[in-house]
Amino acid sequence: MPVARNWRLFLMNDGAGSTRARRSAAFLLTCALLGAMGSGRASAGAQVDPPTAGDLKRLSIEDLMNLDVTSVAKEPQRLLQAAAAIQVITAGDIRRSGASSIPEVLRLADNLQVAQINAHDWAISARGFNANLANKLLVLVDGRAVYTPLYGGVLWNVQDCLLADIERIEVISGPGGTLWGANAVNGVINIITRAAQDTQGLYALAAGGNELQEQAGIRFGTTLAPGVYFRAYGKYTGLDREVTTAGTSADDSWHVGRGGFRLDSEPSAPNRLTVQGDFYSVAEDVVATGGASLSGGNILGRWTHETPGGASMSLQIYYDHTYLSQPFAASPAAPPFFSGFPAASLKDDLDTYDLDFQYHFAWGTRHKLTWGLGYRATRESDEDLSIVRFTPTALNQSLYSAFAQDEIMLARSVYLTVGSKLEHNDYTGVEFEPSARLQWNLQSTQLLWGAISRAVRTPSRYDRDLLVPSGLINPPPPFQFPTTYLKGSPDFVSETLLAYEVGYRAAIGPKLAASVSAFYNDYHHVRSTTATPTTAVYVFPYPIFFQNNLEGETHGLEISASYQMLEWWRLHAGYDLLQEHIGVRPGEVDATGATNETADPQQQVALRSSMDLSGGMTLDAALRWVDALHINNGPAGGPVVGIVPSYFELDSGIAWHATRSLELSLMGRNLLHAYHTEYGFPSPTREQIGRSLFARITWGY
Amino acid sequence: MGLLRNIATRRLWRRLALLLIAGGLLGAAQPVSEYQLKAVFLFNFAQFVEWPPAALPRESAPFVIGVLGKDPFGAALDEVVRGETANGHPLEVVRYHNVGEVRDCQILFIAASELPQLEGILAALRGRSILTVTDADSPALHGVMIALVRQEKRIRLRIDLQATKASNLTISSKLLRPAEIVGSGS
Repeated sequence: MPVARNWRLFLMNDGAGSTRARRSAAFLLTCALLGAMGSGRASAGAQVDPPTAGDLKRLSIEDLMNLDVTSVAKEPQRLLQAAAAIQVITAGDIRRSGASSIPEVLRLADNLQVAQINAHDWAISARGFNANLANKLLVLVDGRAVYTPLYGGVLWNVQDCLLADIERIEVISGPGGTLWGANAVNGVINIITRAAQDTQGLYALAAGGNELQEQAGIRFGTTLAPGVYFRAYGKYTGLDREVTTAGTSADDSWHVGRGGFRLDSEPSAPNRLTVQGDFYSVAEDVVATGGASLSGGNILGRWTHETPGGASMSLQIYYDHTYLSQPFAASPAAPPFFSGFPAASLKDDLDTYDLDFQYHFAWGTRHKLTWGLGYRATRESDEDLSIVRFTPTALNQSLYSAFAQDEIMLARSVYLTVGSKLEHNDYTGVEFEPSARLQWNLQSTQLLWGAISRAVRTPSRYDRDLLVPSGLINPPPPFQFPTTYLKGSPDFVSETLLAYEVGYRAAIGPKLAASVSAFYNDYHHVRSTTATPTTAVYVFPYPIFFQNNLEGETHGLEISASYQMLEWWRLHAGYDLLQEHIGVRPGEVDATGATNETADPQQQVALRSSMDLSGGMTLDAALRWVDALHINNGPAGGPVVGIVPSYFELDSGIAWHATRSLELSLMGRNLLHAYHTEYGFPSPTREQIGRSLFARITWGY
Repeated sequence: MGLLRNIATRRLWRRLALLLIAGGLLGAAQPVSEYQLKAVFLFNFAQFVEWPPAALPRESAPFVIGVLGKDPFGAALDEVVRGETANGHPLEVVRYHNVGEVRDCQILFIAASELPQLEGILAALRGRSILTVTDADSPALHGVMIALVRQEKRIRLRIDLQATKASNLTISSKLLRPAEIVGSGS
């Protein structure tokens, strides 16, 4: 009864759900359409062409300082200032990749392990631990944390947006706890969307194919008043089902409608205000289980202020609601000792309120200080089912945090950044996450850096409050059967990491950029599963409960390089090496022999080619090789390890920019095999990912 | 169910088609290229900074904006100064590989590529009335008179008044007002 797997197989399939999702998407499109018609006429005359040098020379200094500049060309230089294993996925990369969802986009980051589990579920991590319920990665969308406190991981099947609205995605492998707090253990993904002033006018997208059956999106951006910009978007995606290992159709189709808005305003020059929000409704099927529905929404406000002295501050507040209904298949009774369970759906309702303040200023000529305060309140309730429950059913939690960081100039071009976060959570009390980072700009084109950081993963509801009844009926005495099968532990503490990293980044001439980073991660108190000892009268090793008995080290290497071989032809290569030695603490046991946490490829290779052909055509190809995974069947499986074979796959796309605004493209994903497997313990219901072909038309930017 | 889906899909596509037509009327506003904007700032400095008479070009000699190091402007700077004058002298762009080549020059843009040699460059220019400007993003810019600082998507001015005074340059309040003023601290 792989409960853990079920968490990933978030669920479902009712036609009613998919109609609901579709209806909200249709409604959105209608609204956007009306918006386009109404305000389109008003703003058509106000559109401006890029200003000429002559135009600019007529402007005052103040006006010049209020102009926005494009940033694409500066990206490599700015990266040269970043003393971390950071990779940036740009809007251009996303457009050319043919990705239709955020997880697909994340395949562009060499420093991530990305595995597609089925049509709608993904396992994504950095530097390993890409287990079921991967829980050591922090993902932020415009400053809003999107991991669920239910199990500390990300529900990738609900994270999406209009990809054309993404300005860039920063993918940092390595800890970021000092700035971002708990859960930023193995990496941080920062998804940053474009400001409303950068998404003015109309954008529309339509795509259709075999796996990506249909995708339609629209955004409209307008200027409400001088300096007040607004956009609204809607998007609908329908994915076809995949196929199981047994060759049967996997009932895992996925339908999602979402929409949202963003407003950016500058009430006065040093003040900026952003208000944005999204909502979504997902209906999906889960193989052999039934239908799931997930829905949610959020609203966020951010105010930033710059003082004349160069200090800046920001205040951010958001509310986020998520709801999920996850089905569990019925377990038929097996008399006389197993009572069985009826089919049921676990419903999880989560409200998050978050407040964050940051202040940044220079102190003298050698110090740049940043400090911040944060507060997060969550209210979560889970329906009590006979097959799975969380105790207490409803839980309100508070998280208080404070951090301070100082960037010190030690000598010309040598900087030391030290800081720490202090966090108080209801489960484990105070946690601290200090780091020290040394950066040496060898020349303006080369950077050498090193860092030592501590990070923690604080307990989730899953670790502490989970209770899975066994369904066993007590036999006649003296025999005793356990009533609980899997159980969280009230004494579960935070997992800790001490990470040592070094890196080098260089722009070698105008055409070649490369980066190398190496890490050694020392983990303690990682989640283990302990079986209850059996005796002649207590014959089952249940309950299995969570403890913190795993520890060990991982080390590895991340290399990536981009080469602009010709003006029209760019090449990119990435390589990842990861070696994990995670074991059970001496004197302790783990029900899965310490194999449940580390379903990771030891090596990964990525090669990409981007060509700008004549006549407005572009041709892109991305080849990847992923090493075999050694995967465990979850806490119930015992120390049995299954294999996901290594594989090569190829994504490719050709696009034609028919006019400045109109792009027509043909995209293919996973072209090398009709079906291949990326994740999952071998079983007849393990899913295979099919070759995907689709055509896409986009209008605008 | 399948039928329902098909109908819904067909409607969706029809709406999109409509939208594409409506969208033909619109275009998107385009931001300015970063170095085009910075070039315009350099042009403005020529207008809003006062040089001591001895430091101005003689007679019909051009007023020189120099670029030291790897030129990030492309053609943008030449385009901005074409046909323009400052203090009655025609503006001209001159590119230098090292500071030893800098002779008759009023404004010197020090490119990011020269950051490692910055101290030497400033020492070589000391006492000469040349307005030094850079956009290298580094806190270690003591003594460069004007920094064009990128903040998010905007360009900000940071002016070191001690350094400009030491070189007998007077900066107009039109530049000073919106700028961040720093002391060179040395």
